[in-house]
Amino acid sequence: MAGIVTEKQKRILFITLSIFGVILILFFGIRALKAFRKFEGHRPPPFAEELQTDVETIEDWMTIPFISHNFGTPPELLFGSLNIDPRENHKKSLKELNDEFFPEADGYVLTTIKATVLAHQPPPMPDTPAIPSPTP
Amino acid sequence: MSEYLLTQVINYGAPLLGLIVFIGGLGVPLPCTVLVIAAGAFARQGYLTWYSAAFISIVSVVVGDMLSYSIGYYASGYVTKRFSGTPQWLEAEKSFQRWGPLSIFFSRFLVTAIALPVNLLSGTTRFAPRKFFMYDLLGEIVWIFGYGGLGYLFGSQWEVVNEFLSNFGGLVLGVILLVVGGRQVINWQTKRQPVE
Repeated sequence: MAGIVTEKQKRILFITLSIFGVILILFFGIRALKAFRKFEGHRPPPFAEELQTDVETIEDWMTIPFISHNFGTPPELLFGSLNIDPRENHKKSLKELNDEFFPEADGYVLTTIKATVLAHQPPPMPDTPAIPSPTP
Repeated sequence: MSEYLLTQVINYGAPLLGLIVFIGGLGVPLPCTVLVIAAGAFARQGYLTWYSAAFISIVSVVVGDMLSYSIGYYASGYVTKRFSGTPQWLEAEKSFQRWGPLSIFFSRFLVTAIALPVNLLSGTTRFAPRKFFMYDLLGEIVWIFGYGGLGYLFGSQWEVVNEFLSNFGGLVLGVILLVVGGRQVINWQTKRQPVE
């Protein structure tokens, strides 16, 4: 076997492995720490919350029916805001729609969809003052 | 790539997710963990049925893993012809029989980067197929329900979870490499020390 891997080659291999390990630890450790800090600030949304309201979570890999489902905005309204025929485009992502219909305006579809969803949301309910309970 | 596959999972649901994790099980580098976490979130949002997505994914990924195990198993003829009987080969075989179950189990969800080499090595060293299946299935169940479950729990915020988990996997891989390599280097240094 000495002919296949020499003792010296084994040493080089294990030293390289150790150095590579340290590089990975530093690289992914810093990234994991940053991600953990971001992760700490988030809490799971309550299960009772059926529809999403934060339009900043809309991303350009999403399709219009998916956004419509999550935000409760009718798909016709979203397609209408872009003047796009829903029939042949319902499986395309926002990025694909942008590249196909608005190649000269980068990010136009995403911005328009966010604005339409936001405009369709009901206004936030004013805080109702607590009714004072009768004092005995 | 991830974004394109996410769009397609939205469009075609659990069968496509199953196909992707099957191909991933064969060793093709696809962002399967991202998709599993996202699928959990899609289930939460009512876009996928969690039990069918989980069932299809587990079956598909285990079939993919068993196929890559088989490749190692049937290619072992060539490998053993060349190395069999050598002390290093016997040592590798012995070491895999000892550490194999753990490496199979943890490489399914914690250090996914080494899942394919582990599958091939399991086959090549003729690790018992039933035992491989059992540890593989357990690991994949943890992967699907653990990662998918986190996606389900965090819903629309699943990307934050993904960012942390993907970096954590790389960190664990770095620790493993440092421990394996460092231990060997320390052994050599100890041997080189003159006996007092």
